Order: sequence, then structure tokens, then C-alpha cells
Amino acid sequence: MLLTLYREQFMDNTTRFVTFPLGEQRYALDSTQVIELLMPAPVYSFPHTMSSLEGVLVRRGKVIPVCDLREAFGHGPERSFYVVAQCNYLGRREVVAIPVTGDCQLVQGIRGESSGAVEFVNAVLHTGGRAYPLLDIDQIVARCIQPATVVAREAMR
Amino acid sequence: MKELERRSLSIARPVGPAAATAGPVILFTAGGVRFAVAADEVQEVRGGDERTTIRKLKGPEIIDFALQVGLGEGILERLLVLKPGDCALAVTDVERMASIPKVVSLPGLFRGVERQWYRGLLLLENEVVPLVRTEYWRKAFAADTLQGTVHG
Repeated sequence: MLLTLYREQFMDNTTRFVTFPLGEQRYALDSTQVIELLMPAPVYSFPHTMSSLEGVLVRRGKVIPVCDLREAFGHGPERSFYVVAQCNYLGRREVVAIPVTGDCQLVQGIRGESSGAVEFVNAVLHTGGRAYPLLDIDQIVARCIQPATVVAREAMR
Repeated sequence: MKELERRSLSIARPVGPAAATAGPVILFTAGGVRFAVAADEVQEVRGGDERTTIRKLKGPEIIDFALQVGLGEGILERLLVLKPGDCALAVTDVERMASIPKVVSLPGLFRGVERQWYRGLLLLENEVVPLVRTEYWRKAFAADTLQGTVHG
């Protein structure tokens, strides 16, 4: 009985969301897309060609790419957490860590229609008398993470 | 009989996929960043006595590795001559050999030319080191299609 209640009250992920600040505004993600929240940890960088990827986090022997969204969402205070989320990228399920700039909250709410076409937003979350843009993580990853097309440098001979 | 059957079943049970292993690697630095290359893909390491003339060396074709991965023109003090000896990576320093138990695949979000540059990532104690894919560098150099980059 207790377990059933627990499931009904807390395991109904369809109405649970994670809210967090990005730049100057607060956004939300469907909790089913959020794997975990991580405290700030070292980001290991190495040369690569992907815009918006600043390196990788190492978590339990796995590497998680870190996507810096400041260019798309604006600069905020120092990063406080990483939201580790799953996304679809070129037809494959991938995991990405997004640095956020304030506290994260797990809330219950209702998904509503977005009033207009807003880039990276596919709906609005209504919770506690407030509304938060609900992010489309697949669209963010698809648009922000792109290989650079850099003119080939001449090899040193 | 039953005991024997049980044993054979136990032995035949499939095991999980083994982690990819790197074997012995050579750790080197280029452009201030540490990289690794499989030791069995390196023919020889040429030393500092050639530092002033590395760019004019006769013999293997030379790749300024730091320049090619977007780290700027490197300080070239060592040459990692790749097997079979027709191509060499010019690097800043060759640090040591190490035995690395596991190579982690490059996450799928990295889908640029870095997928060809590296075989994967080595997880060291406090560091993540790209493992160089030597066949790419040898082939790319031969085809003169080396590309630079700006991130990382």
C-alpha cells in the first residue's frame, strides 16, 4: 500500500520536471530526460572540432560531454550544477552535461502549449503559479553542437 | 552426472564484453596538451639533438601534431616515427610509456574529424588523454587532407 502510494505520488514522471537557470532565465526539462545532477567537477578538455562542446566529465568510468550553452542562452553567474540529460542526436541516444548557473528544483506541473515559436522551447511548464519554458534538448544539441568547418591548415613539411 | 552438467553450463555461460585495451602507450605532449599513442605503432623516437633541424629533416614526412589539431605551431623537440617509418609526429616532449587498461570511446556528440584523429580516450588518474589513431595521420598525410581545428 505504501509502495503504491509512493509510486503514484512520486514516480509519475510524466508530470515531473527539473527547473534550472540558464543565463538570465529559468527553464525546465522533463524529468524523464534528466539522468542526474552533478556538482561542479573538472572538465577535461582536448582538441576537437565541435562547437559548444568544452570537454568531458568523467563519471563512474564513463565520459560525458559538456555542452556550454552560454552562446545560445547568455552568460550568467558561475556554474553551480551540471544537468546530465539524455537526448537524441542523429538517431542515437546520447548523454550530455549542461552547466547551469543556480539551484535546480524538482517540481510537478502541467505541460502547456507554447504561445509562439521560441527557439529551443517546445512547450511551457506551469507550476506553482509560474510558467517556465520547457526546453527541447534534442533541438538544442542538434543546433548548438556542430562540427567546425575550418580551412585545412598546411602540413608542416 | 548432474554435477558435471552444471559445471559445463557454468563454464559455457557467456561473459560480458571486455573493455577495449590500449596495451602499452607512449605519452607525449604537443601544444601543451598530453596525448597517447600505442607503443607498438611507433617505430622509433628521435631525440633532442635534432631539435633545431626537425623541420628540415630528411627521411620520414613530418607532421607538426600540435598545429594539425588546432593548438598552434608547436615546439618541436621530439619525433615519433610511426611504423613503417614513412611518417613522423613532431611533438614537444615524449614523457613515458604506460600500460593503460581501458580505452573509452569518444562520445557520439563528437562527430567531427576528431573521430578520425583519436581511437578513443584514456582515463588516467586525474586526466583524460586522447589516444592517437596513427593510421589516420599516415593516410591523411599521404593524401594531403590534414585538417585543423579551433576548439578544445
